[in-house]
Amino acid sequence: MSPDVIRANLVVSLKSFYREKSAVFFTIAFPIILILVFGTIFMNQDNVSLDLHVQDLDQTTSSAQLLKTLELDGRFKIATVDPAVSATQYARDNKLNLVLVIPMGYQKALLQRLGLVGGVPSAAFRNSNASVTVTYIYDASSSSVSPKMQTLQSALGAVNQGMSGEPPFIRSADISILARKFRFIEFFVPGIIAMSVMTSSLSGAVNMNAELRQKGVIRKLSTTPITHGDWVLSNILYQVILAVISATAILLVSYAVFNVSLRIDVWLPTFIVLEVFAFAGIGMILTRVAKEAESAMAAANAIMYPMMFLSGSFFPLEMMPGFLQKIARILPLYYGNEGLRSAMVLADNMAALRCSAIIGVFATVVFVVGIMTTTWEEGK
Amino acid sequence: MTKDSEPAIDVEHLTKRYDDLLAVDDVSFTVRLGELFAFVGPNGAGKTTTVEIIDTIRTPTSGTVRLLGMDVTKRKRDILPRIGVLPQGFTSFDRITVTETIQYYSRLFSCRNTDIEGLIELVNLEDKSKELFQNLSGGLKQRLGIAVALVNDPEVVFLDEPTTGLDPRARREVWEVMVDLKKKGKTVFLTTHYMEEAELLADTVAIISKGQVVAMGSPEELIQGNAKCLVLTLKSADERALEIVRAVGFEPVQDDHKNITVNVEHPSDVRKILNALTDAEASFLTLDLRKPSLEAVFLELTGEALRQGSAETV
Repeated sequence: MSPDVIRANLVVSLKSFYREKSAVFFTIAFPIILILVFGTIFMNQDNVSLDLHVQDLDQTTSSAQLLKTLELDGRFKIATVDPAVSATQYARDNKLNLVLVIPMGYQKALLQRLGLVGGVPSAAFRNSNASVTVTYIYDASSSSVSPKMQTLQSALGAVNQGMSGEPPFIRSADISILARKFRFIEFFVPGIIAMSVMTSSLSGAVNMNAELRQKGVIRKLSTTPITHGDWVLSNILYQVILAVISATAILLVSYAVFNVSLRIDVWLPTFIVLEVFAFAGIGMILTRVAKEAESAMAAANAIMYPMMFLSGSFFPLEMMPGFLQKIARILPLYYGNEGLRSAMVLADNMAALRCSAIIGVFATVVFVVGIMTTTWEEGK
Repeated sequence: MTKDSEPAIDVEHLTKRYDDLLAVDDVSFTVRLGELFAFVGPNGAGKTTTVEIIDTIRTPTSGTVRLLGMDVTKRKRDILPRIGVLPQGFTSFDRITVTETIQYYSRLFSCRNTDIEGLIELVNLEDKSKELFQNLSGGLKQRLGIAVALVNDPEVVFLDEPTTGLDPRARREVWEVMVDLKKKGKTVFLTTHYMEEAELLADTVAIISKGQVVAMGSPEELIQGNAKCLVLTLKSADERALEIVRAVGFEPVQDDHKNITVNVEHPSDVRKILNALTDAEASFLTLDLRKPSLEAVFLELTGEALRQGSAETV
């Protein structure tokens, strides 16, 4: 290993990088754009209120009070629908996924249930079987209608419970496993860092082995004293530098724009280095299988993009079907995501250690296979 | 073995096979220290494969190659600092400049005292020193490749098709570089498909065809030993000249410019043709009589080799 040679390669690689605008964009700006977009979309996820259109056919103080109750706890933002129109047609015309219809006779039934006559309780007038049926007019094809209906059901359940006059039998208490409350963006950032390292390392390895070989640069380099080991090591160092630059930019933007609070310690560089080795190794193996630069890059994309979506970089694994979750758990990026989240968000060193061990073993195997299967010599 | 007697390159029974393709077929030759050795042949003859085995880019299937007394398959690490290579179709990193390219390669050789400006001047790239590699024309890239091949002040320089793609003026500049290298005592191994280049520059020429060396010697030896004819050219000849020359027993060839070329074996044949033209009052602008070129030798040799039924190699 020659430090001068490695340094010379690093200088050339870094100069080539910053002189290619598209490389700078995809390495640094693209993950930042993802952070800004997803961070903005999910910025108020904890405090989000659902739009609810309501057609009050009863038009009484009681039905108005129900609407006020639904609005009061902040879960719903109520918009009223003209009682004269067809609620179903209205929902279709305005592309609404849910309209709540309060039937005529709501107040009458309520007074009977409470046994109130002229505002005065009357046992003779009380009917404990009096009830109303509200109607949900909903769009089954909408993916967000189900949680909205569940939230509405829960709110109406609370009203029913309150009316019963009895205290609830089962109460609930929340105890978070986290030291404090975290936002979606704080779970998202580690995934973006892991994804960014993957794309940079895998693409870089394909370029190093396939594209430069196809152009003839490797042929000329093989007539100089640079060894295959020097070449690989300098490219690994280059990828680590790029990954650190990218991660730094992601974290700075996240701090500046969203005021994230993440733990930065030795685990971050550890996972960066492990991921660089892992995905550079995959890249080297790919270029052995697909020798042309274009086909090697296509193969790299075919691996990267599914892995990004299946590994939990963008959304939680729990949203996926069971069989996909099982697939995710054999992907190296999954352990990169989980490891970084354990370290940066949950402060769980044991989980970070477990994930780093898994990626470490994977990286060692693929990197060694990659080195053994790539050759410095033409025509083999 | 003294320095004077030790060859720079010694190739013995070199063979390179790729599956069914025999690219180099039992080639043997020696290159003396300090000479300019030209390896000529058409595209696909095996020139580049041979030179890439000698300069350690490829490994042979069989045979031995010794470069500066060292086996190229066993002593690559010792050989590389002493040679310079311009591969065919030289390329480098697209987004570094001419100066940065030379600096980079000099660092690969751990050369701290490389005269980068001198090399840039040698290949006439002073006004392009800050240009990115990707913005250079093919010819300028080739010239940069020559400069890169010289960063470590090598003892043996391999130039694989160095003037391909260059304009005539640039070609001559490269020729001057090669002559200059030879004057400095370097051994130059040149591969080219330009016969006139080999004829002009080389001390020794080896002609390769279909993976085999068909002839080797100095240009003069090859021409005198293999081309049996003189070439008579009549420029802007009369329309009747073609038939007249044919009538006295020769096979002339006419080009689009009305120039007639005839191969003659003796000077007396020239007199016979001129007398016939004079008698018929057929005119021509000028007359030219030359010895055949290396290209004519190549055509002669490879044509004979095929007719003699040498092994089909491709």
